[in-house]
Amino acid sequence: MRSIYYLISRFYVLILFVLLEFFALSLIFKSHKYQEVKFLNTSNSVVGTLLSYVNGFNTFIHLGTNNKALVEENAMLKKQIKFQNQYPSDSSLPKNSDLYTFDYVVAKIENNSINKNINYITINKGSKDGLQKGLGVISSNGVVGFITNVSKNFSLVMSVISIKSLVGVRHKNSNALGNLRWNGNDPYTLQIDGFSKTLPVKKNDTIVTAGFSSIFPPDLIVAIVKDVKPDEGSSFYDINVHLTNNISSLSYVYVVKNNKKNELDSLQRLINNE
Amino acid sequence: MNNKFIINNTLRFVFLVGLQLLLLNELPFGRIYIMIYPLFILLLPVFTPRIAVLLLAFFTGMIVDAFSNGGGLHTASLLLIGFIRSYILDTFQPKSGWDKLDEPTLSQQGVNWYFFYTLILFSIHHLIYFFLELFSISNFVTTFFKSIFSLISSLSVVWLISLFFARKSKS
Repeated sequence: MRSIYYLISRFYVLILFVLLEFFALSLIFKSHKYQEVKFLNTSNSVVGTLLSYVNGFNTFIHLGTNNKALVEENAMLKKQIKFQNQYPSDSSLPKNSDLYTFDYVVAKIENNSINKNINYITINKGSKDGLQKGLGVISSNGVVGFITNVSKNFSLVMSVISIKSLVGVRHKNSNALGNLRWNGNDPYTLQIDGFSKTLPVKKNDTIVTAGFSSIFPPDLIVAIVKDVKPDEGSSFYDINVHLTNNISSLSYVYVVKNNKKNELDSLQRLINNE
Repeated sequence: MNNKFIINNTLRFVFLVGLQLLLLNELPFGRIYIMIYPLFILLLPVFTPRIAVLLLAFFTGMIVDAFSNGGGLHTASLLLIGFIRSYILDTFQPKSGWDKLDEPTLSQQGVNWYFFYTLILFSIHHLIYFFLELFSISNFVTTFFKSIFSLISSLSVVWLISLFFARKSKS
């Protein structure tokens, strides 16, 4: 018994270090395994509230850029109204088809980063506003990411600039389907895989959302092709793209809520189970 | 004398962690990640009890993690710094040994000593952080360069801050 006391009194710093380090490593293991930050994250109400106070300054810096984005969006919406007025309401145009009834919730960004392997964005809307895990987040001119954690007043969004993010996209000219990923290298350059070499993919081509999942609305412009080169070892292209929105300077985003999501999901689950 | 140490280190904590969370975490450069908060642990007085250093490192790491979605990465790497700091201090002690009131700062220990002290501990911290973040050997080259560039930028910021405060405290 005395020798145990002796050991503890002699090595207590080492023991404490090992215990604390073990705790920290288990947190890392967990967040790697479930692809989300379980415990220490900014959707926590205390941290989130503090961040929303200090974020006022950041919003102020990006005021100019945000104004410009809003003006552009406004112009686009006006054009749409004009287009809709040309056609009477009883025309056959699918304005609000049964598959796509999307609602948008405006949220303000409280915290943002682009310098990690998995980048999270904190937004100031949570379960109180009907948000839930798995919803898509877009900005006025591109995709932003998916919601991974929700608390009462805040949510955590895994941005598309994350090595674990995957978004279904479509080549606008040829309608071919592919996946938007990030290789962890340059946060302003993302990659697309799944476009076969037979397709006529060129520089400056437009990439839009595929719209087959219930997460993002279809035909939302996502990225512009930066360079294309055929991959030697496979029948696909190596494609680098840059996003149409600048995620690091965003201040406001839209969370996409699909009213028919649950219905669609349960139907698809039925197919998968068979 | 004791009170002065506590006030100084509290102010240093608020300044470094504040700068880290409000400014450096939000910089729009994706290829580098400037981390200066380990300087708080490095500059604690030499004879701070080792258990206090560890607990402070744990506490600081948790705060930085909570505010930057680190998921334990900052805590794990900073704890290691808190643990090996005393061994580094023992190895690099002056010829006459450490005095009771010594602090491992630029103004007390001189440029050369401070340069190597920060270089060694920041290198360990950054390498551990970036390899824990990667958690696999797949992107080795990218991660290695990312940690080197981040290390150089972090150390530049650290030395600028230290020079600024060393001047001020002398005059």
